[in-house]
Amino acid sequence: MGFGQFLAAPEQKVTIVTYRDIFQSAVMEEGRFSEEYLKLSAVIKMDAADIKKLGVKEGDTVVVKNNDNNGKVVVRVENSGYDASHSEIAYMPNSPWSNALVSADTGGSGVPQYKKIEATVSSAKGESVTTIGF
Amino acid sequence: MVILLNENYHVCTGCALLCDDIEVVIDDNVITEVKTACRKGVSRIKGCNEPMSPTVEGQQVDIDVAIGAAADILKNADSPLIFGLGNSTDGAQKKAIELAKQIGAVLDDTSSFCQGPTLEVIFNETVKSCTLDDVRNKADVIVYWGADPSNSHPRHLSKFSYFPRGQERQRGWEEDRTMITIDIRKSHTAKISGDKFHNIPLQADEEFIDALIDALSGKVPKVPFEYDPKRILELANILKNAKFGIIFVGLGLVYSLDNMDPIVKLMDKLNELSNFHLIPMVGHYNMRGFNQNMFNETGHLNRVKFEKGNNTKVQHGAEFSIVESLNEKKVDAALIIGSDPLSSLPRAVADHLLNIPVITIDPCETFTSRKAKVTIPSALSGVECGGSAIRMDGEEVKFEPIVDVKSQTIRPSDEEILTRIMEAL
Amino acid sequence: MANAMEIYQLLPKTNCKECGKSTCMAFAVSLLSRELTVDDCPPLKGDKFKSNYEKLSDMIAPAKGASESGMIVHEDKCFGCGNCVVACPVNVAEDPLGAGIGRAPTSDKVILRVEDGIVRTSNVHDCRRFGENKILCNGCIVTCPTEAIEFV
Repeated sequence: MGFGQFLAAPEQKVTIVTYRDIFQSAVMEEGRFSEEYLKLSAVIKMDAADIKKLGVKEGDTVVVKNNDNNGKVVVRVENSGYDASHSEIAYMPNSPWSNALVSADTGGSGVPQYKKIEATVSSAKGESVTTIGF
Repeated sequence: MVILLNENYHVCTGCALLCDDIEVVIDDNVITEVKTACRKGVSRIKGCNEPMSPTVEGQQVDIDVAIGAAADILKNADSPLIFGLGNSTDGAQKKAIELAKQIGAVLDDTSSFCQGPTLEVIFNETVKSCTLDDVRNKADVIVYWGADPSNSHPRHLSKFSYFPRGQERQRGWEEDRTMITIDIRKSHTAKISGDKFHNIPLQADEEFIDALIDALSGKVPKVPFEYDPKRILELANILKNAKFGIIFVGLGLVYSLDNMDPIVKLMDKLNELSNFHLIPMVGHYNMRGFNQNMFNETGHLNRVKFEKGNNTKVQHGAEFSIVESLNEKKVDAALIIGSDPLSSLPRAVADHLLNIPVITIDPCETFTSRKAKVTIPSALSGVECGGSAIRMDGEEVKFEPIVDVKSQTIRPSDEEILTRIMEAL
Repeated sequence: MANAMEIYQLLPKTNCKECGKSTCMAFAVSLLSRELTVDDCPPLKGDKFKSNYEKLSDMIAPAKGASESGMIVHEDKCFGCGNCVVACPVNVAEDPLGAGIGRAPTSDKVILRVEDGIVRTSNVHDCRRFGENKILCNGCIVTCPTEAIEFV
């Protein structure tokens, strides 16, 4: 039993930008309820240094909460692989998982902030990936 | 077993490129092989593994019963919403506009939170556009801004913009064309543009545009973030010397701006100095068709409300967008055609759809169809039904169904279903 | 793709010369160029190096799919975008009004074409990297968004 567990899990503030991934899009055409679609959708890609700060490894699950505290999902974390450092910016493919985090507040414009989701990431301590249900 | 190689080219409805050179191998009316389409297009053409059934309240019913139940819901609604249609043919879209008029519906599509603003400045001729064939034949400077076509429109570079030989571009991409990518991350497309990739910070597009306009005006460009002004000057120089330039506007750019003014300003400046065009990276295969059909009919691209019994009265504005209609809980029934708002809208917005009766028309099961009161399976357009659609550049593309539509298993088209709902009303 | 140093790290590093090479580094280079195979190193086959042997076999495995010109297509990485199909100078020369202008190939002589969303090769002996007058053409490599094509 280590001392670490009495400390609050480290958190990382991020702005999430959604993007399209061809493998995920292709799998979506085949069916939205497949394991493969979940695997390719429930992912957050982060800067390697940010992942390290969270005390998790690539492939582990993390909790992503939006800062209004309305939305929360557990997804797998992956290293973005980009050469340029992008601390505090994270990426998620468009999917119901990213949309669980997008705010409903549009200032009346009708356009949600799909590419500017303010959120906090922390270790999910082994909790499994959120399944989407309504 | 009869293997029939269809000699005719087919059209892929996987995205708004509408690639028209697709060959297929068909075995017993099932497509077993697809040639020349990209990975995403192949998945679209081969169809989904989760086809939708006709249901009412979760119970499987005859399709006529489902159509009748849909008509009942729409008849009893005070303020119905019709949404989707980006994956429907022109014919179905025109039918949906008629239906919306008949029942006094709010009518909107995904362009409402997508490429609507870009299409608006093109429809109003505020900026100059061109066709993708013009790009292939003439373009020497190609800019992808906030777009990653390698993932969203995989054949964009190979079929139209960078790699093909064209009438005035005979010497190949290495010598005859320059491709620039401007983005916040080194996307798969950015990689291809090599040292012509400009990695800018998140939400910094407007500042980058201003700096670029300064550079084009002979001033020293300044941005409030770390960026070598020499690189902006180099970029300005390439743009200035373009014989035929094209900017492909991606959602990354659209979402980072409050409005289209910075893009219009940049286009005006570029056209003082050279010759530049704009094309939006439209996603769904016929989203532009919906905007065009709506524009022809109402003068608006999207976000309208018709008045029941008054064919000529139409209101337009952000309050009639799907997002605000749901946020304000102003609609009391929804007809969703070829779209999955429970997946594509913010969860907090889409939740209102769980409180109202929803009808979905779609070839496949979706998150929305699993919560819908009525589901009506439809033909996969381009495969099981023909029609026409508008490519991302505004060109009309006609297509025939790929499989034999006389087969028993073929489902009715969106257009046919909408016609039958109107008859039942 | 592994480099010689990564391969070297997994070797016994004893310079025993049993493979016929003077050093383990030289053996690593021979593995990379497919001149020798993992099985040509007798010490690697012992229990002590079991996991290294497996790792090396995985690293070198793609060569089995390599064509005569050394071209390997990593199908799992391919988007089916067709950039290589249109950029390939042989495709352009053989099919100027099909692949050359971005359309579906219309000639049987093309080297690259896309089928079921993945690039397929044929006529590889016509690849400019092959034969007596070979040149280091990289048209299909630099145009690929995902490094799905490589030459060994």
